Amino acid sequence: MKRTIEFTVNGDAYRLEVEPNRRLIDVLRDDLGLTGTKEGCSIGVCGACTVQVNGEMISSCLMLAVNANGCDITTIEGLARDGQLHPLQRAFIEYGGFQCGICTPGQIMAAKALLDHNPRPTREEVVEWMTGNLCRCTGYYKIIESIMAVVEQGATV
Amino acid sequence: MTATLQPTREFAVVGKRVLRVDGFEKVTGLGKYVADISLPGMLIGKVLRSPLPHARIVRIDTSRARRVPGVRAVVTAEDTPKRYWGAFIKDQPILAIDKVRYVGEEVAAVAALTEEGAEEALALIEVEYEELPAYFDPEEALAEGAILIHEDKPGNIALVIDVERGNVDEAFARADLVVEDTFKSTLQWHAAIEPIGTVAEYSPSGKLTVYMPTQTLFMARHRMAWALNMREGDIRIIQPWVGGGFGGKSCDDNNAMICALLAIKSGRPVKLINTREEEFLAGSRPRVPFKTFCRMGFRKDGTILAKQIDMIADNGAYSGKAPAITGVAALRHDTLYKYTNVKTRARLVYTNKIPTGAFRGFGNPSAEWAVEQVIDMAAHELGIDPLEIIRKNAAEPGYVSPHGNRVISCELKQCVDIVERLMDWKQKRVNKRPYRGLGVAATVHVSGKRHFGDYDGGSAVIKVNEDGKAMIWCGEGEIGQGAMTALCQIAAEELGVPFTDVEISRADTDLSTYCHGAYASRLTYIAGNAVREAARAMKEQILQLAAEMLEAAPEDLEIKDGRIFVKGSPEGAKSTTVREVAHARLFRRGGAPLVASGSFDPDSVLQDATRYGNESGAYNFACQAAEVEVDPETGKVTVLNYVVAADCGTVIFRQGAEGQVEGAIAQGLGYTLTEGLLLDNGRPVNPNFSDYRIPTAADMPPLKREFADSYEPTGPFGAKGLGELPMDPFAAVIGNAIFDACGVRIKTLPITAEKVFWALREKERREAEGGGTPPAG
Repeated sequence: MKRTIEFTVNGDAYRLEVEPNRRLIDVLRDDLGLTGTKEGCSIGVCGACTVQVNGEMISSCLMLAVNANGCDITTIEGLARDGQLHPLQRAFIEYGGFQCGICTPGQIMAAKALLDHNPRPTREEVVEWMTGNLCRCTGYYKIIESIMAVVEQGATV
Repeated sequence: MTATLQPTREFAVVGKRVLRVDGFEKVTGLGKYVADISLPGMLIGKVLRSPLPHARIVRIDTSRARRVPGVRAVVTAEDTPKRYWGAFIKDQPILAIDKVRYVGEEVAAVAALTEEGAEEALALIEVEYEELPAYFDPEEALAEGAILIHEDKPGNIALVIDVERGNVDEAFARADLVVEDTFKSTLQWHAAIEPIGTVAEYSPSGKLTVYMPTQTLFMARHRMAWALNMREGDIRIIQPWVGGGFGGKSCDDNNAMICALLAIKSGRPVKLINTREEEFLAGSRPRVPFKTFCRMGFRKDGTILAKQIDMIADNGAYSGKAPAITGVAALRHDTLYKYTNVKTRARLVYTNKIPTGAFRGFGNPSAEWAVEQVIDMAAHELGIDPLEIIRKNAAEPGYVSPHGNRVISCELKQCVDIVERLMDWKQKRVNKRPYRGLGVAATVHVSGKRHFGDYDGGSAVIKVNEDGKAMIWCGEGEIGQGAMTALCQIAAEELGVPFTDVEISRADTDLSTYCHGAYASRLTYIAGNAVREAARAMKEQILQLAAEMLEAAPEDLEIKDGRIFVKGSPEGAKSTTVREVAHARLFRRGGAPLVASGSFDPDSVLQDATRYGNESGAYNFACQAAEVEVDPETGKVTVLNYVVAADCGTVIFRQGAEGQVEGAIAQGLGYTLTEGLLLDNGRPVNPNFSDYRIPTAADMPPLKREFADSYEPTGPFGAKGLGELPMDPFAAVIGNAIFDACGVRIKTLPITAEKVFWALREKERREAEGGGTPPAG
């Protein structure tokens, strides 16, 4: 039995009919074509599917789409504005905070959620926060460096 | 010798700071990975897997599955050409034929309009099995009377290596010290965050198009052509972005085969993506575990006189790359030190587990886990600084290993110096604190390895567009390591154009010339040389045309930053640009686009039947050290500091090279401390990221890394390979550091806190009994 839900994603309003057992990640990827959100583990451990729901960091593989009814969602596709990359996106390129790139949208979304709440975290706070996002390529060094660069530049996030 | 190991000029782009060419797509989420690809009319595929580790298939009934609405194809072995396939030993079917040999093996598959429909159909396939005894330990499979996992493989042995060079017995007899022990390594999964998957589409014309994140497109095409009984040219493989490879995406598994089969049978595009659990059960082929007995003889001064190793390697149910990995584990180490007497016996044994295979290091980490610890044991017994014993025996330029590996550039001794300095080694040894220790180990790796068809080459084509921008077509591919960026740098350097004037196409078997792909740390060296050759040929064409335009001799011309001028001419003198040349070449009567190709096959030799032969064009070296702290109460090991010195020749793309070192350290850390297979009657009990613990950001130690000042004359602008090198010695470094910290040596991976805890208790017990027995682990 499908249910009607309404939410905004990256500022766009949607009204959708979804099965109640569908995950947010599937609706984002399959129904809305927002494939920047990646699926790595399907159990909320790897963080590749990280999005923001009402500003909070969420694993979209663990949230049912119906539970996002009425919410404001941001995905990686919503970060660049007017052709300008988000400071975190720029920093990840500049400091090499990615290799294969599959975990990168999740890393950036997690970092954004942190900086939205705490624009001046210490390196230790960044490392602690980012433990929910696995990366098998980088050893995390350049990911942390990328995020710290944004913190130190005090760029508006 | 050293005089030739120097660059002959300053570089404009090589080694200079550039931004990765794949950055924008990857940070915005716009880059398409295989799971992001949707084709009109696409079906979803699902695989039925064996629940048993070893069983005869008595009956398969798919009739009920075929009747599920929306199901468009149901396939079993009967729908395949029933050809066994594999990189070195053709022993693996696409779908199980008559028998299953491990839990997770593919038995049947379906394609349906929806995932739910596919799952419903799977549940309705009836398979009747007759269970057989199963072996999870190679030594059980080797035991007399063990039933055969493959009927045509007596003794369950896939491969035997038996090599002796020099005279080991004689050398042991005159050694001042002989040390021996046995070490076990474990399965390790690549755990790439992207699982293996495929989207395949089949045209009635006979053309199969496959989107798959493989690191070796042309070899994948070759294997698919064999297994599906097609021609190579009838298969087009397109590489989307690859979400992590590390050896696991070298097309040794069945995902792409099955997806192709479903597409052919259904006549519709099919997507087949492994779940994370499937990835652990039957996806990427995990690291080959070895049990290694190692005996080494030394002079009092630490000089190595002889080495003898006896290895048992766990092949799992099918062979994949494990035969080559066993060869590397058995012999590669003999290029690291100046050996004269070596003896190696290795047996690769079938078991009823997931087939093992290629994982960064390719046998080296498992071998070094044993050998580099035995050398450390000798250093302690001889009272020599472990760093000195490496220095004393280190390979040098011009060294030829007992198996014929010819070392040209080698900065291993420089790497030892760097490690000593970065770790503050001497000072820390003097100020030794309880339960803190230092460990060191060294390694050698190849830059490409001659296996397939006695060819280890690469090729590339470059075109220069009418706007002067160069495009490289290269089929080697990108798996995240930064190869595309490094190749663009090499082309820009050779052409004399700005880095931003060079682009590189994505790998596609229909659009690029033959390339083996990303394995054996070969891309910078092999593809780099091929791209450089193509760029050199292109430059010749450009200079020829420019010479006509400038009324000068081509050999008098130079290209710098895209501008072409007579060498040494004053500022403002007559000049042209690559753009003007390309434009002028095309837009005229009889015009043509600028296109050139390049090819490179290194001066290596296919190993003969006795495994003698220079396997690679160049050898890469590294030394690493760790400072660890062991908690005596819990056995927990903390890596306080880690240092890496790597000799990879000229560093082309520094950020990428640093990334290779850093990522390898993370994988090494997991391999050493947390990762490993837990089995219950052949079924992995930790097939998920919650129970299979790969390191997180909080687990990473402080790291210092430096590249040796090095130049490989046969490499592109002096470069060699790097990708696998920093992974190789990690486990041995930590094992050695733990011994230095607390006097116990752990001999099975992973080194869990529990193992250290019990080893410490055992040591305390022995000390309390007053026994002088050596510490055990």
